Order: sequence, then structure tokens, then C-alpha cells
Amino acid sequence: MDPNPKPNHGISAYYKTRAEHHAIISGDWLAQAQAATAAGHPLEVPPASATALSAASKPFSIIDEFNHWRRKPDLAEAVAAIMALVAGIRSSDATTMMELEIELKKASDALKSWDTTSISLSAACDLFMRYVTRTSALEYEDFHAAKLRLIERGEKFGEISLKARRTIAMLGQDFIFDGCTILVHGFSRVVLEVLKLASSNRKLFRVFCTEGRPDKTGLGLSKELAALGIPVKLLIDSAVAYAMDEVDMVLVGADGIVESGGIINMMGTYQTALIAHSMNKPVYVAAESYKFARLYPLDQKDLEPALRPVEFGVPIPSGVEIEKSARDYTPPHYLTLLFTDLGVLTPSVVSDELIQLYL
Amino acid sequence: MPDLQALVTDFVLKLKRRKIEGSQATAKQTAELLRQVVSQQRMPYTNQASVLIDAVRAVGEQLIAANPIELAVGNIVRRVLHIIREENLSSTTAAMEGLGLTAGSDDDEGEHEDRPGLSAAAVAAAARSTLRAPSLQTLLEDIPESVVAPHPSSSGGDSEGKSKSADRSSRSKKLKHDVIEAINELIQDIDTCHELISEQAVEHIHQNEVILTLGRSRTVKEFLCAAKEKKRSFRVFVAEGAPRYQGHVLAKELVGKGIQTTVITDSAVFAMISRVNMVIVGAHAIMANGGVIAPVGINMVALAAQRHAVPFVVVAGSHKLCPLYPHNPEVLLNEFKCPSDLLDFGEFSDCMDYGSLGGSPLLHVVNPAFDYVQPKLVSLFITDTGGHNPSYMYRLIADYYSADDLVVQRKATS
Repeated sequence: MDPNPKPNHGISAYYKTRAEHHAIISGDWLAQAQAATAAGHPLEVPPASATALSAASKPFSIIDEFNHWRRKPDLAEAVAAIMALVAGIRSSDATTMMELEIELKKASDALKSWDTTSISLSAACDLFMRYVTRTSALEYEDFHAAKLRLIERGEKFGEISLKARRTIAMLGQDFIFDGCTILVHGFSRVVLEVLKLASSNRKLFRVFCTEGRPDKTGLGLSKELAALGIPVKLLIDSAVAYAMDEVDMVLVGADGIVESGGIINMMGTYQTALIAHSMNKPVYVAAESYKFARLYPLDQKDLEPALRPVEFGVPIPSGVEIEKSARDYTPPHYLTLLFTDLGVLTPSVVSDELIQLYL
Repeated sequence: MPDLQALVTDFVLKLKRRKIEGSQATAKQTAELLRQVVSQQRMPYTNQASVLIDAVRAVGEQLIAANPIELAVGNIVRRVLHIIREENLSSTTAAMEGLGLTAGSDDDEGEHEDRPGLSAAAVAAAARSTLRAPSLQTLLEDIPESVVAPHPSSSGGDSEGKSKSADRSSRSKKLKHDVIEAINELIQDIDTCHELISEQAVEHIHQNEVILTLGRSRTVKEFLCAAKEKKRSFRVFVAEGAPRYQGHVLAKELVGKGIQTTVITDSAVFAMISRVNMVIVGAHAIMANGGVIAPVGINMVALAAQRHAVPFVVVAGSHKLCPLYPHNPEVLLNEFKCPSDLLDFGEFSDCMDYGSLGGSPLLHVVNPAFDYVQPKLVSLFITDTGGHNPSYMYRLIADYYSADDLVVQRKATS
């Protein structure tokens, strides 16, 4: 009995979740989530049902855990993954480090195969596995002490993620000068943080939001920005080239940063970057470092297909195909700088970091 | 230390009045001043590195504020701070290795109490990683704050205390000594940067080449003369570099060394660039993204070179390497020089008179000192450490500077 059947064939769970987030997210939600974080109880204990399940010696379902965490709107996907893995450690019966690692590997593989399209999920799993392997090498005399340390660090990851966003905001808002116009594509929480900080530092700027069909990201983002008092203008996706003349810089988030230094992001990012590059406008990417992934796509088709439904408002006649891909790949050539919690980086630094981590 | 304060004030005034010409001279004098600061600083028994760092930061803050355009000042201040951290770290790890045998039960160091399971090796590794820039490897780790300076004073027992005090005073002298040695090495590096760069000239300049440069850079001059000495035959086009016309001076010097030279105006650069094999210019500063702050006119040369696929080579000493990213370089890192360089005051005094026409003259003169060249226009950087790609600059910066020092401000509570 599998309580979590694989999601609809072809529909990417990751993008479905993001769509849900955008539907419910609003300023008050964010404020609530952040207040809860600041109060020192970053993340609630998993619901009683999960502990009851493990107590009843049912197989612990990592997918359940992951689903529980990733529904929270302010939590990054990577954080949800690591929380799930930490819960896995907590409920494991292993007595040696080796056993624990094997169990974790199985859990991490299960998570990755459940949603093959989410890059931050697999990157976070790999990062945590790497960390576990290296911690065991640090000669902890006591297995339990090591296990506690792993659990503690994993739970702290939520804070690390929020801190990362703040660092990125600090670095990114330096690049926003008075009177500038910023074009934003997609609804990235990191980008929102950058704009919020710049606005609270009394910088005067305006933002162009692309509509972001079919996820309507532009509507959500413009609502947030209007609430902060930042002048916003909505554009349909086709109007990007038309408006690019007035724009001073493009700012996007990323679903994943690949080894070449390019990014994988919502559909439409590549096109925006191409236009910006041809008109000599800088393209800045704001993303946390745990999104670095060991992928090297050479063109758009090299990505794992991530599909999501597209509504046209009218029934589509049969025989007409729809391009349902949710994301595209932007080569590093079109990006100017990456704002990460490791600092401001040029795209060529990414592979360096990955090499240091994995080799 | 009234003597030290007088030196600092003196130097600050010289910087404010732009009395010191050139990044090399500025860098050298900054390093010498900071060496004085370090050697005259009284060292307490504990937390020596932080005291040194604070002292250098306090002076550094004043120096940077005096001339924010001269980035070499900030670079040297940050280099010295990095040197202090590194020397402290190497002496700490040496001391810890000595004490490492007693790891576990009788801990003197305060931080060991939090981590009963960690060996001394792990603590040392964590200390090393505080010096490195943040990276993916350390993302999940929790670096204890107290690792930077161990506190042997937290130990109890008088007998231990006595042997420790001899240890401590010798260690305090050692740290200062090491830092001053390293600063001396830094000063020597600044002095010899031209020689090291010129040694590489033979690899880049080949027979019968035509080279273009703009204005006069001492580094470029020595680079070209070194190639000439190795019996390469080549020709140089020198763009005069208005409004200072330093290109004329360079042309004379090159002819003195027997190099065939042609002087052209800045406007003729685009016309002549197709006949040129390579462009070699100097720089005022190199930013962290590989962008270059160079004397005005060089951005135009870079664009012309890109248009005609001519390699654009920048030669600069490593004291010009700045860890900051240029947010708005045309505005924030530029300076406006005197209008009389362009227009003769006597002839134009009526146009520029504030007294007539309601108090605002119709004629303005703008004389910017610097240009910003984007990293994608630069083919190669030649520094005293060798030839590098613009996208490699971040590596050199990680070697020379610590991430904590990017903002040089004295902390309110340290």
C-alpha cells in the first residue's frame, strides 16, 4: 500500500507546489512565517501522526515527511528535503555510522525518484549526504553523539536557509541604485527579499514584473511589491523586448544552478536573458548556494522534462499539441553575476565550488 | 603614541590633497605606515590578533576615507588584515599541535568544553575554515566563534600559569614579529612588481609585432623595454592620452630605448586598430569581477579592440587587485579633474562666469579621470603572479584577502 502514489504522469510535483504557494502566499503569511522563525522555534515538531506511525513500527515514510514540510509557503524546497532526511535519521534504528549512511542513501534515493524534476531537492539531498559522510570521518567517539549532531545541524538548516536569504539580500541591494528600473521574472522569495531590503534602505527604484503565464507569478509578486510601496508595472511576457530599453537590470531567482554557471528557472528566463544581453543590460541571479547542482545541460532538451498544465481558457481542439514544459536553461554566457550566500560570484566560480565539494 | 598619530594625520592629509602620485607609491607608503602601527601597538597577553586587527582597522578606515578613489589604499589595508589573521592562525595551530596531546580531559581552551567529542584536529580544521571564504563544504557546519584566538588565560593553577606566561610573552612577540616580517615581504612585492611583470614580456611579444597603448603607464613602459632588451623587434603606436598628453612622454622614453614609435591622437585609435596585433595598457585598479578602472580613453580602446578582434592585455601589479565589486563604477569610482586642462581659462572666462546670466554658466567642462572597462573586453591580465583570465580574478582575491575585511570599519564592540 503506497500512501503516496507517484504524481500524475508528467506533471511535475515541484511546479505544482510552487503554484500552490503562489496562490496562497501573501504579505501576512510571510510576516507570520518570519515572526515564527524569529521567535526561536524555527520549525514545528512533525505532526503526531508521523511519530505515531514510527512508534507503531510501520515503515517510516520519508515521502510523507517531505510532503508535510514542503507545503509550508516560506520554506525552501531544499529545507523540506533536509528536514525529511533528518526525520529519517531520528527514526532510524542504525547502530553504526555505516548503517545510518546506507539508510539515508536509500531515503534520499526514494525522495529523488519521487520527484525527478526538482533540482534543489536532489542538490540538497546530495549536500546532506556529503555532510553526513564527512562528519563520520571526524572521529566522534560516540555514535549517538554523532547522530545527535547530524540531527541538530539538519534542523538548523532551516535557519541557515533564511540566513542565506538575508545575506543575499544584503549583497544584492548594493547593486540597486536610486532611480533604477528592475525587470523581474518569476516569483522568487530570494528576489523579494532583495527588493524588500533595498526598499527599506530607502532606495528609490521601480520594478517591471512579467506576467509569468501560466503560473501568474507576476500577479503575486506585484501584489507583494505594491504592499511595500514599490512602484510596479506589469508586462505580458511578450512585452519584455518592448520594455527592455527602459530597464537598467534584470533580476531573477533560480530553481537550480548548474555546473557551467548557467541557471534553470521558470520558462521565459532564457528569453529575457537573451534580450537583456543583446541590449547590454546586466542579468543578475539571486540564489542560495545549496542550489548548485552537478548537471551540465548543453541545450534545452538536456533537462529532465518538467511539465505542468497550461490553461488557454478555451477547449483545445484535438490534434493540437501544447508545449507544457515548466522551465528552461539559461547558459552562463548571458548572466552577469550571481548573488549567493557565498558572496557575489561570476558564473565561472560555480564549478570551482562544486569541485571543492565533490572531489 | 603622539608620534604615530602625527604620521597618520600627515599621511591622511597627503591623500586628501592628492599629493601622492600613482598606486605603487601610495601602496608602499600605506604599507610602511601600517607596519609602524603594528610595531608600535602594545600587545596584551590575550586576544592579540583582535587587538592588532582593531588597530589596523581604525587607521585603515581613516586612510580609505581620505581618498576613496585610490583603491590601492584599501587593498593594502585589507592585505595587512589578512596577513594578521593568517599569521595568527599558523601560530595557533602550532600551539594547538603542541597542546594537542592533552586533548580531551584537562582542557585549557574554553571552546573545548562545548564539544566533548571533537578532537584537537577537528578544532584546528574548523579554525582554518574560518579563514577561508564561506563555501558549500562548510555550509552545514557550525563554526565556533571562539576559535580565532584561544584563551589560555582561562586555565587555572599557578604553576601552569607561570610556565604559560613565559610562553605567552614569547608568543606575543612572535606574532608581532611574524606580522612585521610578512608586511616587509609585502612591501618588497610592491617594489619588485614591475620586474616580475617585465619578465613575462618575452612570452607575449613576438617578432615584428605592432603594439598599441594609450597614455603612459610605468608598468607598460618597463614591459616593452624588457622585450626590447631580449632583442625582439616590434613597433609601438602610442595614443597621446588627452588631456594630460602623457603619451608624448612615453613616446620619448621608448625612442630613447631604440623602439620604433608612432604617436597618434586618441580619435585615431579606431582608424589604426586594424593594423595592430595587440593592445597593452596599464590599469588604476582591477575589480573582483575582472573589470578594470583605467585612465579615461581606455574603454574606447577596449571597444575598438573587441570590434577588430585584437587581444586586449592589461598589465598591473597585484597591489591593484581590489576585492570589491563595482556597483556603479562610472559614478562611485571616478574623479573629476581640473577644467583648465581642457579649456584655457583666460579665453573662456566669460562663458564660465557665475556672475552673468542669472548665476548659472551655460558652459560646463567635464574632465573625468577614469574609465570602467567591462571584464568581457579584457583578454588577459598580466600580474606579478603570471597571466590570468578575467574570470580567474576571484581566485587571487581569495588568496590575498579575507571575506571579513571587505568592509573596513572599526566594530563598535569587538
